[in-house]
Amino acid sequence: MNAPDSCHCITCGDDGVPMRVLRVDADRLLALCEDEAGERSSVEVALVTPVAAGDTLLVHAGTALTTLSGDAA
Amino acid sequence: MRFVDEFRDAALGQALASEIRAAVEPGRHVKLMEVCGGHTHSIYKYGIDDLLPANVELVHGPGCPVCVIPMGRVDDAIAMAHEDGVIFTCFGDMMRVPGSHGTLQEAKAAGADVRMVYSPLDALRIAKREPEHEVVFFAIGFETTAPSTALTLKRARAEGVTNFSCFCNHVTIVPPLRALLDSPDLRLDGFIGPGHVSTVVGARPLEFIPADYGKPVVVSGFEPVDILQSVLMILTQLRDGRCEVENQYGRVVPYEGNLRALEVLAEVFALRPHFEWRGLGFISQSGLRLSDDYAEFDAELRHEVPAVRVADPKACQCGEVLKGVIKPWECKVFGTACTPERPIGTCMVSSEGACAAYYNYGRFARERELV
Repeated sequence: MNAPDSCHCITCGDDGVPMRVLRVDADRLLALCEDEAGERSSVEVALVTPVAAGDTLLVHAGTALTTLSGDAA
Repeated sequence: MRFVDEFRDAALGQALASEIRAAVEPGRHVKLMEVCGGHTHSIYKYGIDDLLPANVELVHGPGCPVCVIPMGRVDDAIAMAHEDGVIFTCFGDMMRVPGSHGTLQEAKAAGADVRMVYSPLDALRIAKREPEHEVVFFAIGFETTAPSTALTLKRARAEGVTNFSCFCNHVTIVPPLRALLDSPDLRLDGFIGPGHVSTVVGARPLEFIPADYGKPVVVSGFEPVDILQSVLMILTQLRDGRCEVENQYGRVVPYEGNLRALEVLAEVFALRPHFEWRGLGFISQSGLRLSDDYAEFDAELRHEVPAVRVADPKACQCGEVLKGVIKPWECKVFGTACTPERPIGTCMVSSEGACAAYYNYGRFARERELV
């Protein structure tokens, strides 16, 4: 779930991980996302909709808290 | 990842370090607290401490969600994990946090069904897959992880999952900061504000720090250049006699926070009258419980828990470390009886914990050269 060079905590979940959206399931408010290391997981996107494939999200404990602009990602 | 390299650029870091040296008033000792454990981790990982002049001291705050969980709550978790038919789920670090009679990892070795998850959604998936079991999720963390728990509970309700509950230990960042500011032990000159908590709550809730206590706050990102720039912004405020909340991390943190997240938190959680923090004691209105509307998912109502308050081990000085009164290496058991492999105190467990960060990156130099 975490990028190998991430500077944050690996396992407590309180760790912001930038992830790129690959596919969106708009009905279930979930998105398949991939982190810097290529690890994939499904992410809650209810707080940041609308999202589209290619967007970068800041994900904490499986939930996207914000959409990162191109400059931040 | 684009633009990460720029925020780790050594030349830019050195340039900021010399601006910091120029900005600090000679002869004044400045103590700044980084509130968030993520900042603590970055500071040690990148050796940011070593770039600062000796009279700028970084003090590590209470912002690691693992470190602030008191032993009694771990005992409650272990009691639930040992119940027949219960699958107890938690983030990895929580497996190693010592209660008064061992850890969740040891409970698992003794036969309890304890499973590590990366998110509450993973725990809900287990509940759907194994409907014959009661699945309990050990929810910890500040306003960064609380939305995830809240959304998972809403999802559990929407999908009619009834064998899922949450042992809620979510905490909020503002009350412990106020407690620290009221503490006579500690004299701070400014705060490096939490980056990702502010993504949710915004920077506005931190305005009481300049307004009521006259200290500057700069909400900061987590890369080395972010942290150095934030230190410089605080020193500049001090030099100019200003005192306000500034947002260094504007590329991620909107000043107003995430309003949808705040709505979800208000729907699913309610404030507890008080909550115990490891080393800091009871702090009013600092912890969250499930709201009455979500009581059916409250593990504390569905399971027997001892709910006994347990004093921290005498040798452990996590409390002083969490308040920034002592440095990790000043603790009597640091690196000897207490190591990341066999932690006595919580600060040695999580990689965001100040002690584990010191230990892992070998940063226990007692003094820095005067610049």
